[in-house]
Amino acid sequence: MKHIDRHLPKSALALATVFFLLLMQTLYAQSSAPVRSTYEGKHFDVSYDSGIKPLPLNRMHWWDIAIKTKDGKPVNNATISVYGGMPAHHHGLPTQPEASPTGDGQYIIKGLKFSMTGAWEVWLDITADGVNEKVVFKLML
Amino acid sequence: MYPDYSISRIILAMLLLSLVGANGHVLAGKQWSDAELALLKMQWIGSLPELPADPGNRYADNPAAASFGHRLFFDTRFSANGKVSCAICHIPQNAFTDGRATARGIGDTSRSTPTIIGVAHSPWFFWDGRSDSQWSQALGPMENTVEHGGNRVQYARILFDDPQYRAIYENLFGSLPDLDDKKRFPPDASPVGNGKSLRQWQSMTAADRDAVNRVYANMGKAIAAYERRLMPGPSRFDRYAEALLDGRIKETEKHLSRQEVAGLKLFIGKARCVTCHQGPLFTNHGFHNVGTPDPATRKPDYLPAIIYMFMDKPEPDQGRYLGIQQALSSEFNCLGKYSDAGESECAELKYANTDHRATLGAFKVPTLRNVSRTAPYTHAGIFPTLRDVVQHYNTPPEAPVGHSELRPLGLSRQELEQIVDFLDSLDSPVNANPELLRSPE
Repeated sequence: MKHIDRHLPKSALALATVFFLLLMQTLYAQSSAPVRSTYEGKHFDVSYDSGIKPLPLNRMHWWDIAIKTKDGKPVNNATISVYGGMPAHHHGLPTQPEASPTGDGQYIIKGLKFSMTGAWEVWLDITADGVNEKVVFKLML
Repeated sequence: MYPDYSISRIILAMLLLSLVGANGHVLAGKQWSDAELALLKMQWIGSLPELPADPGNRYADNPAAASFGHRLFFDTRFSANGKVSCAICHIPQNAFTDGRATARGIGDTSRSTPTIIGVAHSPWFFWDGRSDSQWSQALGPMENTVEHGGNRVQYARILFDDPQYRAIYENLFGSLPDLDDKKRFPPDASPVGNGKSLRQWQSMTAADRDAVNRVYANMGKAIAAYERRLMPGPSRFDRYAEALLDGRIKETEKHLSRQEVAGLKLFIGKARCVTCHQGPLFTNHGFHNVGTPDPATRKPDYLPAIIYMFMDKPEPDQGRYLGIQQALSSEFNCLGKYSDAGESECAELKYANTDHRATLGAFKVPTLRNVSRTAPYTHAGIFPTLRDVVQHYNTPPEAPVGHSELRPLGLSRQELEQIVDFLDSLDSPVNANPELLRSPE
């Protein structure tokens, strides 16, 4: 007993540390699939905003996409094909999402769904003004 | 001698209390990490969202439609021989399955009867997802030649000729067409299948065909309104999870044995079951190729291998690859004229992946609730026991068609047994009025 008692303050400190680590882990876990993110490419800066936090599992949802040139001008008339999947599981997205323009360098991707927990990738194959760039968003759900 | 004795005790007690308050599980922290607890919460029945509306079926939550559907579900008159109802394969006492490898109606089918409990939460129906609503699913077996084997004009006439049914139907859906007129409505007519009933269907006017289709669709909508009420109640696993998440650690021992807890830990961890059997219904409602053996392509025991090698073999079941094509072309899909949904409410159908890489040999992930009562397993009922199923996942073979998503798990024999034991804790009796579990007659 006495031996244990002597170490109590240390145990308390250790427990407090564990508690804070758990808290940090929870915060980190929630931010690993962010509600919005920007990919800085060679030709374009592309960002998505899912509007739902955290990114939903097993729920059809939409992403707002903004495409800008490297000097910050909105990119209109881009054609975007959307694909992706889970590289570790060798399968694609469960859906065939479609992108369409909403004006001023903004686009909407409809029909996105993530059906499992784990590492997902969403690829946007963007062609605008004769330039092509493949943009990838890596998400941990 | 130890001046900090009481203070440190108090600090420790306060810390422990705060931990119990914030994260009741920390006392059992050795057993479950925060990430694991988040997964357990996801699987817990308390996380089941409210039953989503069925925009394609405006009668989905209509009590009179559900009561009518309950009668249709058990009525054997809706078949070619007067002996087949939905309930002869979906037997309520067997968690709405039949205990057979493949279902048998008028004849033998090639697929196993899945449970109905909780499936109203799914956007897709049938093992291959060839229906995108519960109401259109209900119509498939009714005209399948090896299931109910009848036809939609015959069924509409049963409603017309039975005064009780006719009154109930017309109260709900409006008047039936004049089925007394045998010239306009021949006795056996259906666009499904071939031969005489198809010719008779084609001899009908477009308006009369449409009127019969509407009656048929309404039958499906009533059956779906009944089936939607068959939701699972809490299982032993749920009581365990609830006690654990509430911090009632001592109580958890009452609900799951050590062996089952070990199985649960594997289920959400090393065995990776939870990647697809995820959420409170233990399914992500998706389609995956897990390479289960296909009985159609198995060598019959009586044939020597050398002869079988040179024989023409049947095509393996392609699953979702064909299922999604059928759903897209169905007259009873979400976008069709018999659906009550607007186009924007049909996202699942509109954005469904049709690519062969995602769909070939893929089948719907079944719920695992009540799994110990729904043997045999897989879409073709190939595995007699849960041990066989887990063994398949442990050492996955090549897929009969497409590519299996499975990788070896490296589970020991003991771990395999623990998972099987855990699955036994998922018995989830239907949480509904017991009257819904028997024939209304």
